[in-house]
Amino acid sequence: MKISLRWLNEYLSSPVAAEQAEHALTFAGFPIESTTAVELPGGGKDVLLDVEVTSNRGDVLSHVGVARELVALSGGSRGFKPPSADAVFTWSPTPSPAAGPAVTGDVLAHAAVDNRVAAVCPLFTARVIKGVKVGPSPRWLVEALAAVGQRSINNVVDVTNFVALELGQPTHVFDMARLGKNAAGKPELVIRTAVKGEKLNLLDGKTITLAGDEVVVADPSGGEGGRAVSLAGVMGGAETEVTEATTDVLLEAATWDPVAVRRAARRFGIRTDASYRFERTVDPRTIDGAARRAAGLIARLAGGTLVSGAINAGPSRPANTPIRLRPARCGAMLGAEVPRGRIVEILRALEIEVQDMGKPGEDLLCTAPVFRPDLTREIDLIEEVARVHGLDKLPVHEKVAVRVSPPQRSESAMRELARVLTGAGFYEALTFTFVGTKQAKPFLPGELQTIEVCDERRKADPVLRPSALPSLLACRRANQDGGVAGDGNGGVRLFETSAVFAHRSPTAKGARGEAVENRNLALLADAVLPEGGKAFERKQAAVRLIRGAIEAAVRALGGQGAIERLVFEPAELPMTAYDAAARGVVRLGDKALGVFGVIAETVQREYDLASPVVAAEIGLDPLVALYPPRSSVRTLPQFPSIERDLSVVVSEGTAWAAIDSLVRKARASGALPLMDDYWFVTTFRGQQLGTGKKSVTFRMRFRDPADQRTLRHEEVDPQVNGLVERAKTTLAAVLRA
Amino acid sequence: MLEALAQLETSGLAELGSAADAAALEQWRIAYLGASGKVKAALGGLKDVPKDQKPAVGARANEVRTKLEEAFKVRQSALGGNGAAAASGPMIDVTEPGLLHATGLGREHIITRVRNELVEVFARMGFGVAQGPELEDDDHNFIKLNIPAEHPAREPIDNFYIDDPADKSQGPPRMLRSQTSTVQIRVMETQKPPIKIVAPGRVYRPDEVDATHSFMFHQIEGLYIDRGVSMADLKSTLLHFARGYFGPDAEIRLRPSYFPFTEPSAEFDMKIALRPDQPPRWIELGGCGMVDPAVLEMCKIDPEEWSGFAFGFGIERLAMGKYGIPDIRMLFANDLRFLRQL
Repeated sequence: MKISLRWLNEYLSSPVAAEQAEHALTFAGFPIESTTAVELPGGGKDVLLDVEVTSNRGDVLSHVGVARELVALSGGSRGFKPPSADAVFTWSPTPSPAAGPAVTGDVLAHAAVDNRVAAVCPLFTARVIKGVKVGPSPRWLVEALAAVGQRSINNVVDVTNFVALELGQPTHVFDMARLGKNAAGKPELVIRTAVKGEKLNLLDGKTITLAGDEVVVADPSGGEGGRAVSLAGVMGGAETEVTEATTDVLLEAATWDPVAVRRAARRFGIRTDASYRFERTVDPRTIDGAARRAAGLIARLAGGTLVSGAINAGPSRPANTPIRLRPARCGAMLGAEVPRGRIVEILRALEIEVQDMGKPGEDLLCTAPVFRPDLTREIDLIEEVARVHGLDKLPVHEKVAVRVSPPQRSESAMRELARVLTGAGFYEALTFTFVGTKQAKPFLPGELQTIEVCDERRKADPVLRPSALPSLLACRRANQDGGVAGDGNGGVRLFETSAVFAHRSPTAKGARGEAVENRNLALLADAVLPEGGKAFERKQAAVRLIRGAIEAAVRALGGQGAIERLVFEPAELPMTAYDAAARGVVRLGDKALGVFGVIAETVQREYDLASPVVAAEIGLDPLVALYPPRSSVRTLPQFPSIERDLSVVVSEGTAWAAIDSLVRKARASGALPLMDDYWFVTTFRGQQLGTGKKSVTFRMRFRDPADQRTLRHEEVDPQVNGLVERAKTTLAAVLRA
Repeated sequence: MLEALAQLETSGLAELGSAADAAALEQWRIAYLGASGKVKAALGGLKDVPKDQKPAVGARANEVRTKLEEAFKVRQSALGGNGAAAASGPMIDVTEPGLLHATGLGREHIITRVRNELVEVFARMGFGVAQGPELEDDDHNFIKLNIPAEHPAREPIDNFYIDDPADKSQGPPRMLRSQTSTVQIRVMETQKPPIKIVAPGRVYRPDEVDATHSFMFHQIEGLYIDRGVSMADLKSTLLHFARGYFGPDAEIRLRPSYFPFTEPSAEFDMKIALRPDQPPRWIELGGCGMVDPAVLEMCKIDPEEWSGFAFGFGIERLAMGKYGIPDIRMLFANDLRFLRQL
């Protein structure tokens, strides 16, 4: 809201300086966006304050509204001078003489109003001024409008603009001679809903076609339903505009439903001072004063005769109900004792009527002024007290009382997860939740559908991603474009924890699908090691890398017990993003944890990545639920162990899992009583083995189970030989020479 | 002819389904898609079809062939690899145990680090961390935050809706949350007071993107509900946060404001030196206020017994000021050359 300082001071008993006003308003909830010195057309000077007004305070969208606030905030040092109906500004060198308008007749003999939509038009008032002489405005008015950046049009239209800026009530003038007449031969205004397809020529020269749910002011011309002459609360029509030729004027002062005005203004892309104010509620009870002011000024500046009375079309408004304010409650909410007398003083300064019998402990009965429809509850009054008393006066405690609770598991788990992953060389990325339809598709489980936002501004990437991986792939690509090398030859490794989204298919036709939102951990790593290795070797190493990262995370969050339940197995996945030859699922016992694998070449090509990448997507909630880790310790052995490596040649199709299972079964059957542990060492391929064959080496450790003595080789040999035999029969394995 | 094609399709798909290994799959391929397979034979039969039926039958024959070829590919990948070709080459074994090759250390994202720092300072004052969904409903993003139907805050221009806002036939449209205040509501609905939480997380607003605006950013929200909580407690909490995070000289200032879900409402500023080399200055940080009694009532908390405050502010702005990051877009580009500097 642009406020002219000179104009503002018209209503104050002692003038306020720009800095004073700025400070007082800022700390009362009306920050000043800017303060500008203005040169007026006549050479005068003014200061323009751009005051930010919150949406609940439509009453402050005017010079009088701001003046009232400054008076209330002045603590009684400044008085309020409300303008009389035909007051003109005194700072103009040539004020118009005060004549006092002639008043004759009865308005009902000259015009009629039919308000058919009282729900959206709580009050429509009309006044008539006859015999005006439309011409230039006096200098004070031209300067007042110029100060806030408005152009003078003529003395009648300028008055309506002036009154809106002075009192916050938009008004509109019609040329009565151009209004259609009703059966009784009187110009009539009909407030009604628009007819679909109806046209309206607006004041700004545009012609709009109405959709049918707008509210219009119409007149009876042109047959059935008449003609729309104004888009209610937004802009008047060109056909009934006041011009130099106008002699009789119908003055409209009304109020409209904020929602209806906002919808119409938005639909046609017209934002006017009027629509802005109506959107923030103009109370019907303030209309009369504003209409009198406008009529008085028109009669004074343009001459003419004010026809007596006004047409009021709309239900009458009840007076405000008193609000009970408990001074003790006020103190409790603010945490500061504001003396009862001070509360009363503040409320009265805001023109709130306060009944105070003066008995301590008794409630105050408060009635808000008509221009404050926002004050309906006790808390509204408490806020007023806080605001005017000053939030700077609220005390602060030097200590904070705290209930101590144990560290939050989810927080500790997330820190631990980040610690492990960053330790493994993964950088955390933070990418947007939106991706393109094409990018989302390979990561969308086949049975689900994507969720898209209904927004033109996200047209290129409308999908709420079903996985963070497309974003990480794009991020990997951007780093490639930037020539970013990975750390320590390990390539680039990225992770992100974020929500992912998809729809379950709707059960009924036309129904919405059920939205699924999960929190996931996404991992992405280059398949670049071993350096100089074949593509196959790098992919194999990359799969082991991503597994290693997952294992490390699970171990850190869930301890050794969780690791023992962790299973990686090859599986067909419901999404197509992974290479069919190198993908699988991760489980914790029989609970699904996520998926992992090499990203399919088709997807890799889509992002134009130079190196293959491996990825995983893990459910964050089951991972976090593992925390805290549960581990127990064993005492360290006293006697040395015997270690044996076994390399078995098997077919390519024989996975380590098959060998692992063989050993496990053998141990379970009691065939390896001395075995302490065993683990995978390496896989070797070579021409000497033949195509389709590989050699898998694993290491076994044997130890006296009672840890009472050192084992002899002869004791271990038969157990190793037994295992070799089992491998021969079960896996068709051959011991490598 | 059309019947024969339908028969070919049915039997082909059925037999394909029972091919259990690579060898069986290869046999199927030869029988159906091979040079002298059934599909080829069927296509050959086209020449005997009457001329007027040829286009329809031809189209159907091609359709069957495509279907069988596609089904074969799907089956082939389901059985692991491309059959014969893969059998002779090396196969990736995803069951080999994990092995983390050593490399340099990664970093947590600067926003996460700042988020964690904030959470830690609030934790010292007894605030736990709460979280809620990013995809929200009308009830939590608007209604229970005292933002009624038809409120300007619901305009599609200011929200990312996932349902058409004009079509209410399936209920109010769902949206990405526009503020973390939604978490306040979710916590108040499910927990009995006293409640003392902060809720950090992503929020979404369709702002034009520039150096200081992004359509996705992070907020942290605080909520404290207990008996006798006052605005002075709010001011004290913010002051102690400021001191805890920025140092003992930090100052705090409240300016009255308006939010639908708090009353009295205020904006809060802090006088802080964001960077050690800068003098302290006032920074507008966020919004706060006493939880509106109407909000408490909607969450079935009696406002006569309980009162509380809420506050919220953006994380990016703080991080950018603290680390001298000139453009918010740098935070989401995740260029390692940028991330490594922080």
